[in-house]
Amino acid sequence: MDFDFTAVLDSWQYLASGLGLTILLSVLTVILSLVCGTAVGLGRIYGPRWLTVPIVFYIDSMRAVPVLVVLVWIYFALPLVTGVNLPPFWAALVALTIHISAYVAEIVRAGIGSVRAGQTQAGLVLGMSEAQVVRKIILPQALIRMLPSIGSIVSITIKDTAIAAVIAVPELMKRAETVSGQSFRPMEVFTAVMIVYFLILFPTTRLIDVVYKNISYRGRS
Amino acid sequence: MNLDWSVVWQYSGALAQGVLITILLTICTMLIAIPGGIVLALMRLSGNRIVSGISACLVEFFRNVPLILLIYWTFYVLPVFTEITFSPFATGLLALSLNVSAYNSETFRAGINSIRKGQTEAAIALGMSHTEAMLKIVLPQAARRVLPILASTWVSLFKDTSLVSVIAVGDLAHTALEIRAQTFRVLEILTAMAVIYWVLGYPQAKLVDRIYKKWGVKE
Repeated sequence: MDFDFTAVLDSWQYLASGLGLTILLSVLTVILSLVCGTAVGLGRIYGPRWLTVPIVFYIDSMRAVPVLVVLVWIYFALPLVTGVNLPPFWAALVALTIHISAYVAEIVRAGIGSVRAGQTQAGLVLGMSEAQVVRKIILPQALIRMLPSIGSIVSITIKDTAIAAVIAVPELMKRAETVSGQSFRPMEVFTAVMIVYFLILFPTTRLIDVVYKNISYRGRS
Repeated sequence: MNLDWSVVWQYSGALAQGVLITILLTICTMLIAIPGGIVLALMRLSGNRIVSGISACLVEFFRNVPLILLIYWTFYVLPVFTEITFSPFATGLLALSLNVSAYNSETFRAGINSIRKGQTEAAIALGMSHTEAMLKIVLPQAARRVLPILASTWVSLFKDTSLVSVIAVGDLAHTALEIRAQTFRVLEILTAMAVIYWVLGYPQAKLVDRIYKKWGVKE
């Protein structure tokens, strides 16, 4: 068995720009999912009753359906319904956001639920409005408690962006496929790319753990 | 836009077979990944630093690479290393098992660590051996705490099996994508695929919630 990594080295720039796109897609997805997911999660807890039914349906559906299915449906089937053709990158962003927001919403709900009811009552007794209680008492504690779960969301997002290769988003995974197809060196290319993913994912998850360890005391009550 | 849903009925046999393979793959993977996870967790907890180091490296590696890449990697690398041609199903099974074993190992480790040390010490003080204490005292209690997390891993695994479609295992996603390419009935087939996954996955997700309510650890 011979290893020949020249194919990887020759096309490193091509792969590196794919990595750039992976990171861009991950960052955008994480930001959008945090915003949308928090809105959905808050809507589920504090929203009017009629709103909870569709929200619960949405969250549970996303937990039941693979992200690949959402991705493929948004890219191939949605244009037929709406007539709007999304480019692969935007389709991936939309699909991943729809999928991951549901998980964020569950995390937000669990985080808020973990702050004891006595705290809300105490805030209300002190004359705060409900919005004030949420903003000043509940969320600051809940956010810190949510941090480890947000960390796993970041890691899941980076891993899920690789699935976008299926709809030909030219990110790292797709470019690895291309290079391996052209060079007939799939083993070396995929091994190298796998190590690159690991080198990004491992420090990211560790960093979030370290941050959490340092500020977790602020979430205690 | 004209829709022709009859295509779904026309190919219902193929889709049903895809569903069967998806379910079979989920079950087989879990059957491998539970013992695999236990072995990795016990290795990690063992006193031998080399053994626990190997386990830690394996677990961290397989948890921190995208599954779809792992599937490709297994598909290309396995035949080169072993010089045996595996069927796509076996390749997908192996890739999924590596991934899920790593997750399960962390689940089991957390479960075992959550049983207070005093319990092992008490068992040893009563004259049990380390192995006996582990088997009779720690593991039965840990198993109960681990159950809800295993259940949600199961649901994730069920969804992740769709990724093996990239190496042409005849699972539901692959079958549906093939039919789409043959018939050009994109909207109908993709919607049918989404609905089938939903119908199968939704009760599982709900069941996980119930298991959490009943067995979940409350502080």
